[in-house]
Amino acid sequence: MDVFDNLLLGFSVAFRPDVLAYGFLGCLVGTLVGMLPGIGPLAGISILLPVTFGLDATKAIVMLAGIYYGSQYGGSTTSILMRIPGEAASVMTCIDGYAMARKGRAGAALAIAAVGSFIAGTFGVILLMLVAPPLATFALRFGPPEYTALLVLGLVFLAYMSATSLVRTMIMACTGLLLGCIGIDVMTGHFRYAFDIKELGDGIGIVPVAVGLFGLGEILSTPSKTVTDKVKPPRLRELMPSRQEWQQSALPIARGSVLGFLVGIVPGSAHIIASFLSYAVEKRVSKTPEEFGKGAVAGVAGPESANNAASTGAFVPMLALGLPTGPVTAVLMAALLIHGVPPGPQLVNDHPQVFWGFIASMYVGNLMLLALNLPLVGLFVRVLQIPYAYLYPLIIMFCIVGVYLVNNSIVDVWIMLIMGVVGYLLRKLDFDPAPLVLGLVIAPIFELSLRQSLVMSSGNWTIFFSRPIAALLFAICGVLLVLSVLSWLRRKDWREKLAEAEAGEK
Amino acid sequence: MNLRRDHVAGGCIVLAAAVVLVISSDLPFGTLASPGAGMLPMLLIGLLMVFGAVLFVRARESPPLASIAWADLRHALPVITVACVATSAYTALGFLAVMPLMLFFLIFVVERRPLLPAAAFSISATVLAYAVFGYLLKSPLPRGIMGF
Repeated sequence: MDVFDNLLLGFSVAFRPDVLAYGFLGCLVGTLVGMLPGIGPLAGISILLPVTFGLDATKAIVMLAGIYYGSQYGGSTTSILMRIPGEAASVMTCIDGYAMARKGRAGAALAIAAVGSFIAGTFGVILLMLVAPPLATFALRFGPPEYTALLVLGLVFLAYMSATSLVRTMIMACTGLLLGCIGIDVMTGHFRYAFDIKELGDGIGIVPVAVGLFGLGEILSTPSKTVTDKVKPPRLRELMPSRQEWQQSALPIARGSVLGFLVGIVPGSAHIIASFLSYAVEKRVSKTPEEFGKGAVAGVAGPESANNAASTGAFVPMLALGLPTGPVTAVLMAALLIHGVPPGPQLVNDHPQVFWGFIASMYVGNLMLLALNLPLVGLFVRVLQIPYAYLYPLIIMFCIVGVYLVNNSIVDVWIMLIMGVVGYLLRKLDFDPAPLVLGLVIAPIFELSLRQSLVMSSGNWTIFFSRPIAALLFAICGVLLVLSVLSWLRRKDWREKLAEAEAGEK
Repeated sequence: MNLRRDHVAGGCIVLAAAVVLVISSDLPFGTLASPGAGMLPMLLIGLLMVFGAVLFVRARESPPLASIAWADLRHALPVITVACVATSAYTALGFLAVMPLMLFFLIFVVERRPLLPAAAFSISATVLAYAVFGYLLKSPLPRGIMGF
């Protein structure tokens, strides 16, 4: 079957009324999750993961992915209207989006953000459709050494791209991997760090850790006094950008789409990095860089397109290689595993309905989001008027209920509460908890492939360097580590320069 | 010595890694040809100690410990305490008994919102969540000793 036939198969799945309904629900919840401060896409997906247990894999992944890319759309609303990023990737939209709103162009900024997101999201899906299947075919050549090398590369890439330092990221990743060692060792049956708690025999779940670190941790560090609920919804007729604004946004949307997708494939908090990079690129290529920070259309169009394309690009390694590039894709991968559909090279061939149904649903989902985010923006804004003092207790309730329902285990809820406190303290000490979740997710695959590699080579560790693909992947790791050390010696690298450039805007 | 943020962060990491090392002493390391259950944990503990030490040594580049703002602790402490109390009673008393109380306590006592709206919101949100999870999604919520 060629791509066209596969896509037809996908649309036959995506247009099933039940799949459409769950896709719509995911987009709706995602938009809300993106808008509401204190709950990001990761916490939203984690909390709703147990809800999908009664669904089949296709509906589950369509709904959860809808929350992910829906949150990228929703995040722009609070950024533009309130100067509060509903989720981290919308930080850059705050600068010029809010400035446009103050000039009375809030509606136009929202429309440009939504249309840019739609174009970038659709572009990302087309590339995902074209890139993922051949990549998956190539990855069928991977054995345990190659997978070990790939996972190490993922972690090193994450550390290199991280906004914090390499050392801090590696500490978090190692902690996540160590947490992933809790439970029964699958190769020897040894109980590790279970402390006679039988629930720990299966290891620590991703959901309690993710909800604790990102959901509860965020709530603990957000006092209600700091969250404003004063927001004025734009009128429908104010939503149409002027001809000049359309012209100014066309190229930034195109550049943001390409840049975002490329960054999305790379491990790390891709959608966040993509929006930062896009903003920097737009300012660099602009003929009027002095307009940035004062309501430049390109400062909204570029970053918003980039973060949407990146969130789609992040699905490429997840679906084709079974490699999560960030905490959100890690939880989505866990969702597929729970439903008995392992992501990776076999997914395209073994579960074509899931793979192509998912791809097709993203086309439909992007259309739904465009429809949701423009005419209904006034309705969504009303949700923001719910005082945070009422909202966060509700989120805590959903955290407890959601985590409990995963295994009907109160131990999981305690783990979530502990992780909430850990997440709060990590923020204080400037650690990014995302690599911890990533480490936790890849720990079982990493340990298994590492030990299998050593067993198959009778303990000869040069197996990692004697096989071409593994050697190449480790060579890239080496280059990234050298680059990190060099930038540390120079005391300044591209991330700091970028951060300084953006700080200058504010 | 002027105590800085990364002195504490690095020190805590090294200390935590040392504690895990002690409790990992019964895990077999195995050999390279036949790796045991303790091999990866030991490697990770070693890496954590190294990275923690690097953080500690480079702590001069980090801000002073005193510069960390703890104003949000007055919000975080009561919230986590209420959540812990609710969790400890969750399976014993059940969803319908614990959740409205938790919501009411957070809204009325912690956030000092008016009594009636707080009570109305707590009860209606709980009943709605019960209907969604218990009936619509058919996810079993815990019933307490009183049977609901």
